[in-house]
Amino acid sequence: MTTTNSPPPTTPASSSTGGTSKAGDASKEKGVGKIVYNTMRSVPTWVLWILVILWTTPTIGLFVNSFRDRDMQRTSAFWTLFRGNFDGLTLNNYREIFGTEADGGFWDGIINSFAIAIPATVIPIAIAAFAAYAFAWIEFRGREWLFIITVSLLAIPNQVALIPLLQLFSNGAHVTLPGLDKTVTLVPDVGLVGTSNAVWLTHTAFAMPFAIFLLHNYLSSLPKDIFEAARIDGADHFTIFWRLVLPLSVPVLAAFAIFQFLWTYNDYLIAITMLGSAPSEWPATIKIATLSGEFGLKENVLTAGAFVQTVVPLAVFFSLQRYFVRGILAGAVKG
Amino acid sequence: MDRLISTLIRIVLAVGVSGVMFVVLNYLFSQATKRWRLFNVIVGAFIGLLYFGILDGNRLLGDVGPTLIFWPIIGAVAGGIVFGVLSEIEEPRLRFATAAGSMAAIGIIQGAAWRSDFLPSLDWGTAIAWTLITGVIFGALGLAIRQDFFRAGRWALIGLAIGWMLGAYGGADFGSGNRGESYLAAIIGLALVGVCLGMSKIPDNAGRIKINAGSRKYIFLAPALAFVVLGLLIPLARTIYLSLLTREEDGRFNDLVWNGLENYGFIFTNENSLDFSDWGNFFGSSLVWWGAGLLVLSLVVVLVQWLRSPDGRPRASGGSISPFVIAWFLIAMAVFATLRGTIINNLWWVFFVSIMATVLGLVIAVLADRTRMESVAKSLIFMPMAISFVGASIIWRYMYIARPPNKPQTGVFNSIWVGIGELSTTDSWTGILAIAVLIGVIAVLLLLAGISWRAKAKNMALSSLLGAGLVGYLFYRLIGPGIGGFKTRTILVDGQEVTQTIPDTILFLQNIPFNNLWLMIILIWIQTGFAMVIFSAAIKAVPGEFIEAAKVDGATETQIFWRVIIPQIATTIGVVVTTLIVLVMKVYDIVKVMTNGNFGTQVLASDMWQRAFTESNFGLGSALAVVLFISVLPIMFYNIRRMQKLET
Repeated sequence: MTTTNSPPPTTPASSSTGGTSKAGDASKEKGVGKIVYNTMRSVPTWVLWILVILWTTPTIGLFVNSFRDRDMQRTSAFWTLFRGNFDGLTLNNYREIFGTEADGGFWDGIINSFAIAIPATVIPIAIAAFAAYAFAWIEFRGREWLFIITVSLLAIPNQVALIPLLQLFSNGAHVTLPGLDKTVTLVPDVGLVGTSNAVWLTHTAFAMPFAIFLLHNYLSSLPKDIFEAARIDGADHFTIFWRLVLPLSVPVLAAFAIFQFLWTYNDYLIAITMLGSAPSEWPATIKIATLSGEFGLKENVLTAGAFVQTVVPLAVFFSLQRYFVRGILAGAVKG
Repeated sequence: MDRLISTLIRIVLAVGVSGVMFVVLNYLFSQATKRWRLFNVIVGAFIGLLYFGILDGNRLLGDVGPTLIFWPIIGAVAGGIVFGVLSEIEEPRLRFATAAGSMAAIGIIQGAAWRSDFLPSLDWGTAIAWTLITGVIFGALGLAIRQDFFRAGRWALIGLAIGWMLGAYGGADFGSGNRGESYLAAIIGLALVGVCLGMSKIPDNAGRIKINAGSRKYIFLAPALAFVVLGLLIPLARTIYLSLLTREEDGRFNDLVWNGLENYGFIFTNENSLDFSDWGNFFGSSLVWWGAGLLVLSLVVVLVQWLRSPDGRPRASGGSISPFVIAWFLIAMAVFATLRGTIINNLWWVFFVSIMATVLGLVIAVLADRTRMESVAKSLIFMPMAISFVGASIIWRYMYIARPPNKPQTGVFNSIWVGIGELSTTDSWTGILAIAVLIGVIAVLLLLAGISWRAKAKNMALSSLLGAGLVGYLFYRLIGPGIGGFKTRTILVDGQEVTQTIPDTILFLQNIPFNNLWLMIILIWIQTGFAMVIFSAAIKAVPGEFIEAAKVDGATETQIFWRVIIPQIATTIGVVVTTLIVLVMKVYDIVKVMTNGNFGTQVLASDMWQRAFTESNFGLGSALAVVLFISVLPIMFYNIRRMQKLET
């Protein structure tokens, strides 16, 4: 746990508030001073691991509790398990949550979550890839401005679009002609509200600025020569996009896919807005939030539900962390 | 299982249809250079389909066969034939006659198809006014964009046609007219389009290649821009419009009437969103006094350093800046805790979460840099990023939970709190042990201060002394008045008053105002990983030569951190802070799940949702959304400027 023998170029500074050891001077001390100094040197590492433990404790607590029955959850803390208290360990919470077929059927919730997250991941990728390609490699007038306007929408809070989108999905779009008392139906009411389609359509719209931004960053950094060579060979934009750009941009597409999947699978706001009145379509997040509202009654089931809901993104995260980090970095640092 | 399969089918269909549409469109436009007639037939069919589809969708056409399919197909066939024929006729006069004639013929079809109980009685004044106005507008637009009178003329013709259709259909009184007027309404509009078509020429080979190449930008951009415009821009405009409306008294769900800026007035004047009534208690907050103490300390340090500085000038140092910064941080926290309300809460969230997540992220990135098992530590800190806000809230619920005081505490925080309380009131050996440990810590810190002082590391000595002071205070509380979760009560036992010490818990989610802080910690827990990952990459990107050079010049680790690393990653810090501000501004799920906005924890986003969707007050809900939007505008402009710099 101590730092390495040969000090690397940046040994960790012990705190960010200014009070840090003057390592070089103190190391000349003998005896007690030497011991204190050496202890101090490993403090940063200890601080780091204490923080790591702090950060992990809540999740471990939930995990342990999800395997304990209601009485144990209420009367003894989860860490007693590590002191050898194995009472009340059970799988019943999981059985219960997957067993019920009623409105609260949790399995349905997981499927609903996927029914939202998969199209909300795949479709924005395709659409944004087209647009990012156009912004990066098709010349046309006003390209820079169009791009900046699109991408600046990144910062818009989703809340500003929720009410009109809900109205659009529930009533269609109608325009009353100014000065005339006639209403033209532009989009008929197709009954999207209360279906997962409304949710992933909304997600797709909200994802566009970030997706275009991320993919454009990558695509515009591809070497110009390969595009010129392809054009000389007579390839049109569609061929270039299909044969050249798509295969080349798999890493960034994966990065965005993970990002978007986690985002949409974990979303609560848009789902509760669009599906509030259709409990059979609720994704897992709404199901556990509802369980959480009945805390006293169902708290034992809640732990299992929350853990199952969390396991999917955690699995995605740990298996594809490299791409996820790349996505975050491309989105933040380069911009 | 059925559900799963139907879901999968739906997904495959959605993806497949969009993919096929994209490929077909690309194929279609590549036919412009290869098979010109086929290209025209398809385009014509598509336009016909759309036109008759809109008419049929607005129930203007009679019911024949399967509704909503029959007339669009007729339209598609007619449009395909007209465009196909026109693609072959080059001679100008014949082309003009054919175009105008065949479009008029389509007008006859439309007139005949008109629903018999819905025949229009035209209002000529309105129709002509609309025709002319729209025509002029389109003509002017065409002139501005194309800068060519002939082309602007064609734009004007299109404008005339659209104006006629809007004015004639819109101004007409449906149901009281006769068949003749339906023919007139249809034929005039379509004939105008025909005239416009007839004035065009068949493009030569170069023109066709231009159509093919020029179409691609639209095909590639259209789907994304459609989503952006329909899903973001138009809704944004509509929300701004809705924010100026309000529900009519005892009106129906959707009966909105003009309300001016009153919704905004309400937001900024009602005491749920801004409540200054408690400001008198500001100086009662211990945070303020801690802050004041630190300010004095920083002043003292500045003065001492000034007196002792060789050139007799004051200068800032870590020893004076850090208490100064912390002091203002504490005072700001005290302000947020005294002034209550939705808006104050939101500002508090933004302030505390952005700062804490950034600082913690930076600290962890520095601590973890090039240690053993760096990646393990980092991915464990990063992990909460993958957990949903709802899931995180539930996880933390078990951290904050308070059981009845006489029962074992199962929440981590209350367990520690009650545990400290027991420690400070107990007479058993654990209490003595705790006292011994504290004495030991104080001794070590004092020793460290002495060593650092002799080694001329004054900042280190000062902070060690400060630490010893803090632990000393703890020590005093522990042996003196006690600390932690306990309270004393006096009860009567056999007629005698007996003072009893019992455990006492904190209701983390109910105690105003600091319950807000406990909610914020959840978001900090999630977002620190985000900040850490970015800072970690940025620190690794600092060129090694810079650090080496600084070392050669005799810089200490602290100096390297503040003078080399921090300036190098300054832009990254800006990016992280702005990203966090935007994210924290719209925090919703955590508040919703943990307290549902009760106990003084309401924030703008959850207030917006409650007003708009629970109370169906779209006007006020929209106004709250617009307030959210306006508060991120400065960051939007900052981002735009940054991007402009990158583009050039």
